[in-house]
Amino acid sequence: MKLFQELLENPQNQLFEQAVADGRIPIGYSCSFVPEAFLMADKLMPVRLHAPGVAGTETADIYLSNFICTYTRSLLEFAIDDRFDLIQGWVFVPSCAHMQRLYDNLEYLNKPKFSHVLDVPRKVTDATIAWQIEELTMLADKLSAHFDVDMSDASLMTAIDEWNNFAAVIQSIGELRKKSAPPITGTEFHTLLMAALVSPKNMILPKILDFQQAVEKRDNAGEFRARLMVMGSHLHDPDFIKIIESQGGLVVADLFCSGSIPGFKTVELNGNPIKSLAEHSFKKTLCPRMMEDFDRRLKTIIDTVKEYKVDGVVIEIIKFCDLWGVDSMSMVSALRKEGIPVLKLEREYSMGGEGQLRTRVQAFIESMGK
Amino acid sequence: MKDAFENVKHFFIGLPEHAKFFFNNSILGFLLETKSLRDALIYAKYWAFIWGNIFKFVGTLLFKRGPVGAVRELRQYPWVLQALKATQLLRRITKGRKGAYLESSALVIHAIAVLLVEKLDEIFYQPERLLINEDLVPPEIAMAMGLNVWLAESMGILLPFLDPEACLDFIDEAENAGMNPDSCSFVKATVGMTAKQQQPKGCAIVSSNMPCDAGMTSYSYIQQQLDVPIYRVDVPYHFYNERAEKLFVEDLKEMIAFLEKHTPGRMDWERLREICEKLNYMMELELELWDMMRVSPAPLASEAVWLSHLMLFNWFPGHKVSIRHYERLVELARKNMTEKIPAVENEKYRAVLWNPPFPHFVDIFNQMERAHGITLIMDSMTFNRHELIDTSTPETMLRGLSQIIMQGPMVRHTRGPAENYLDDIFRCYKQFDLDMVWIANHVGCKSAQAMNGILREKCREMKIPLLILDYDLVDPRIVSHEGMLSQVEDFMENVMKAKQPQPMMQ
Repeated sequence: MKLFQELLENPQNQLFEQAVADGRIPIGYSCSFVPEAFLMADKLMPVRLHAPGVAGTETADIYLSNFICTYTRSLLEFAIDDRFDLIQGWVFVPSCAHMQRLYDNLEYLNKPKFSHVLDVPRKVTDATIAWQIEELTMLADKLSAHFDVDMSDASLMTAIDEWNNFAAVIQSIGELRKKSAPPITGTEFHTLLMAALVSPKNMILPKILDFQQAVEKRDNAGEFRARLMVMGSHLHDPDFIKIIESQGGLVVADLFCSGSIPGFKTVELNGNPIKSLAEHSFKKTLCPRMMEDFDRRLKTIIDTVKEYKVDGVVIEIIKFCDLWGVDSMSMVSALRKEGIPVLKLEREYSMGGEGQLRTRVQAFIESMGK
Repeated sequence: MKDAFENVKHFFIGLPEHAKFFFNNSILGFLLETKSLRDALIYAKYWAFIWGNIFKFVGTLLFKRGPVGAVRELRQYPWVLQALKATQLLRRITKGRKGAYLESSALVIHAIAVLLVEKLDEIFYQPERLLINEDLVPPEIAMAMGLNVWLAESMGILLPFLDPEACLDFIDEAENAGMNPDSCSFVKATVGMTAKQQQPKGCAIVSSNMPCDAGMTSYSYIQQQLDVPIYRVDVPYHFYNERAEKLFVEDLKEMIAFLEKHTPGRMDWERLREICEKLNYMMELELELWDMMRVSPAPLASEAVWLSHLMLFNWFPGHKVSIRHYERLVELARKNMTEKIPAVENEKYRAVLWNPPFPHFVDIFNQMERAHGITLIMDSMTFNRHELIDTSTPETMLRGLSQIIMQGPMVRHTRGPAENYLDDIFRCYKQFDLDMVWIANHVGCKSAQAMNGILREKCREMKIPLLILDYDLVDPRIVSHEGMLSQVEDFMENVMKAKQPQPMMQ
């Protein structure tokens, strides 16, 4: 676990640096609608952009203002400070106004050599899947031309295979959390997951397998008063989960942007790798940016609550995020109608307000009679 | 007993103030201020027209519903009573204006009053044909289908014109329902109105992924509350290409099929052609007006331009009242041009306002005209330039409408890429020979906030005076009117080096 923790201390960790030295091409992305498998083709390497230990965003605030979410501001601050200097390309999704303006400001302040906006539609129909296929095809052509990488169907099939093997391992570890006495804590799982998202998959996989073996030998992860699910937007710092768990709430399910449900689904192949990835993008992501998708998200949450025997749901929202902020209004009432206790927490991207968080989680667990 | 006594005492203490307010808003008050019988007659004419419309609405309501029914309807939609303040709005907007400019300002309030009464009639007497239409879905389609369009967001803009605090209850209601307080107050007002069950229900909803995250996401809640079917159109991020237009046109076709399934509306392409042709005519008239606005000093300014466009193009495209309104605006502008009469007597600075205007402080530009000679020539909501709609086939009409929406102000400015936002400001600055750029820096509009850094630097490079005026679109509690005025004063003194700014007239 210590190794995974160390991998999260810097935006570009030692495995990442080693991979770059070996000739891999890291491509940064910040949205779950970017299919990771797509960026694993040939020498490419997907890297989930994060800003560990961000101390302040003074320069980014000048451009983005104080009303933009701190994740976006942190990324811009790190980019201005050249903390992502090894990243050779950026793939954006116009997932929200904040990300759209991150792209604009980055282009203005520290223009990347390669950047691309993957125009992911906001609803799923035959027409928008066809659109997404075209979008991925255009991105493939652009990557191929810029980095001289093989983005052929064969290369993408290999990448999908690699992703599927990797995702299957993560899923199998995640399955352990369904047990009545899970052998892994939410903090451990999230640390592992985040480390996996910011490291080359082939290099971290052996370490994850070792960890899996060790975890499977455990009886349980300790004594806990309640089983919780955490859902919401970007959550990178495992300390957030750690504080929740310190109050006796074991986090058994994670339904946020960088979580495993349904983020680590394997890609269902249909003969055409780009089409498979286009469909996969929509299936693996549950985000309020998608219109007409509320019922699917609600059903997934309710199913997850049942499957993982969750006692209560914690919705975490980064301050100023309109997507989750507005959506939670409907979501909280819909979940409460189903008899599911809900705690809504507003937070900043970097860890802070620990005392308040502790108090609120403690009160929440007590309110459930646990 | 003590409270009753205090209330009576308070009433009598306040009487002189009320009497002064009433007098100032009366025709006589206007006459004494303007000292021009001709201007007073213009004012009186529109004052009487507006009250005539209000009485017409009340009379019809009483006739059709009876006194008890009328009270019941007004309890259902209590915000309708805000319309009684329409002549106060007229007074604020026309203060200090003369001749054709005065008439153009009064004309727009009158047009809105006439059209709003028509909308209220539709809500009360034809609810089965009422479609809840988000403000960025082309209303022309539903109109051609014989449906009555109700823009869910309309009152979030219109009510603060009449009373700056009219939407506060709605905003608080939305926050109490769990909406994030930092989201756009315009969206909160719409959500709050729905949560308070004061939003007309309609037979269906059409909405979109625009103009912002909060606006888009709020429709899940609105749909849950209204419990009617919804269709949501999706504008791609990159929309300046044929591929995007094709996708959006297909989306509009799906929307038409949805409306035919879920509402009594049926598509009448001939009717759509008629509406589009009338809209084209409105656009031609507006372009003619723009051409005249390029002249310095401008023959018309401010509300005659921006409020006309905001209400009539977005809500009543092709309507006979809208057309007549624009014809009259052009006549008035031409008259001033011919007679070389400037709209603002002491026009010193020509300004553009970027981002949505100031609904709860609608007369700020009236005050600025008088205090500094700042003349509002153009604004981002009006600066919606596009081709006329090709009405030769249904496909071309849908394509034309999709271009208007996709390339419309709130779409191309609030999403990115940055060029859409910046280039338009600088194009406008050049085209209308402007002296300053005002950014209406609505705290809830994250997308625009995140452009200020770049814009500030670009304006410095180009030596364009830039005022970023902090305010909240609908909620005057965030930045008070005094706070807004002091920002303008600081800008005028420090950036424009305006000598001896005249004291602000109230």
